[in-house]
Amino acid sequence: MKNIIHNMQLYFSFFEASLKEVLIYRLDCIAGMISQIVTQLVSIIFVWITYQNTDNLAGWTFKQSLLLYGIMLTSIGLVDLCFDSLYDIGPKYIREGTFDKILLRPVHPLISIIGESKAFTAFGYLGLGLFITISMLAKLAIPITFVLILKIIFFSIIGAAIIGAIITIFSISSFWTYKSNEIIWTFFRMYTFTQYPIEIYNGFIKFLITCILPFAFVAYYPTMNYLGIDKYMTWLSPIIAIILWIIAVNVWNWALKKYRSTGN
Amino acid sequence: MLKTMLELGKIHFKEYTTYKSNFYLFTLNRIVEVIVYIFVWQAIYNQTGNAGGFTIEQMVTYYILVISLASIATWGVNEDMAHSIRNGKINKELLSPISYFKYYFGIYLGEIAFAIPVSLATFIICAIFWNVAMPVSIVNFILFLLVIILILPISFFIQMIIGTVGFYTNSIWGMQILRKSVVSIFSGLIAPLTLFPQWFQTIANILPFKEFIYTPINIYLGTIQTNEIGFILAKLIVWIIILYLISKTFFNHAVKKITINGG
Repeated sequence: MKNIIHNMQLYFSFFEASLKEVLIYRLDCIAGMISQIVTQLVSIIFVWITYQNTDNLAGWTFKQSLLLYGIMLTSIGLVDLCFDSLYDIGPKYIREGTFDKILLRPVHPLISIIGESKAFTAFGYLGLGLFITISMLAKLAIPITFVLILKIIFFSIIGAAIIGAIITIFSISSFWTYKSNEIIWTFFRMYTFTQYPIEIYNGFIKFLITCILPFAFVAYYPTMNYLGIDKYMTWLSPIIAIILWIIAVNVWNWALKKYRSTGN
Repeated sequence: MLKTMLELGKIHFKEYTTYKSNFYLFTLNRIVEVIVYIFVWQAIYNQTGNAGGFTIEQMVTYYILVISLASIATWGVNEDMAHSIRNGKINKELLSPISYFKYYFGIYLGEIAFAIPVSLATFIICAIFWNVAMPVSIVNFILFLLVIILILPISFFIQMIIGTVGFYTNSIWGMQILRKSVVSIFSGLIAPLTLFPQWFQTIANILPFKEFIYTPINIYLGTIQTNEIGFILAKLIVWIIILYLISKTFFNHAVKKITINGG
């Protein structure tokens, strides 16, 4: 336990250092945020077009679907904010040789790397996600109670942890290919599957996103809980997050043993 | 000069293919993206018996073609330009005997040469899983290819305009995401443009982006009248000339003010 707290403290000091680094390029950061919001608007337009052609999708109305979207976007914002540097392991850390430096630090290299994330443009996602979530809760006349707020905060963080664990697992490909970003990105992108009620998919995809890569627990089951459709499934999310992180850390440590420096 | 450009293209293409896994991953990425769209439309069709005024086979074909064409329509040289502005490599590019435009057009050709096999592979793999409509006639297929060839210079000159903005701002990362989003919205990449409000369609008719995705696919599906195609080709040529003039003038003006980072 003491070890975990120590590691957390280290993580936050890395985080603070990267925040300061980014604030030097304030203008670039704002431009990035705006363009990320525009990118999301593109997806929202598709949701809107969908509901121009039907009044419900597998029983979900437009507003319910948007709530699901907002919840998903909040978690994605957190993922971008915290795990962005995993994409850099191959192209930046290993190929340029800075990974050797990180190995020499008296900290677990995974914490060093995750702590150096600086996608602060993700605040754009986070803001938009929370805005959509809150306005849809109001439109759907769901009472915003203290318990609900706690639940949303809790499950958004758990959701981000689930995706974070998944991309940590796939980031080990960096140790062999030195160019991992495309692999991580491909699996990360599967989150788009759960921007819609999963009933619309065939059995294979349903199985994939609930059992193998449990993206459905990021936003879909929590939203079912907020809407009162399915109250219980979502409580599996924390357990799934813990299991995934145990797998991720072990897989990462195993891959680390195979690491061979590029010798820069 | 053409030979130099083709050589540059070849080098850039080789850079991509050194990592063979790139090819498979780009293709897989495309397919992941299209799955959502297709399932959503199938669900709508099963519930209402109507897929936005298309038959379900046409709609599925629409999205498979969208995702196949998307790499050709949205890939470009902006990332490379941004990179050389930041690390000062642009210094060498401006001084080299080949002009800046021709240099990047060569690289752009290499980029497209890589996008084409990705497009074909995406199309073939999707055709195994879903029913895909074939082009209505050979003439339509040739016109489909012709429109795609004509959008390449349009896409390129737009990238050059954005790249030139980088001379002032030193960073075009945000601008180039914006470019992709604008292309996505107005080209019909998200959904057939007929499903958008009327005012939106009016804007899309004037802008050249509609021809990136929506028009070629509708030519392929045979849902555009043949007599409209002459007008479409004329529109594209006018846009090529306009964008060429804008990008050249802007570049010639901006290059005098450029500040170079070390290098």
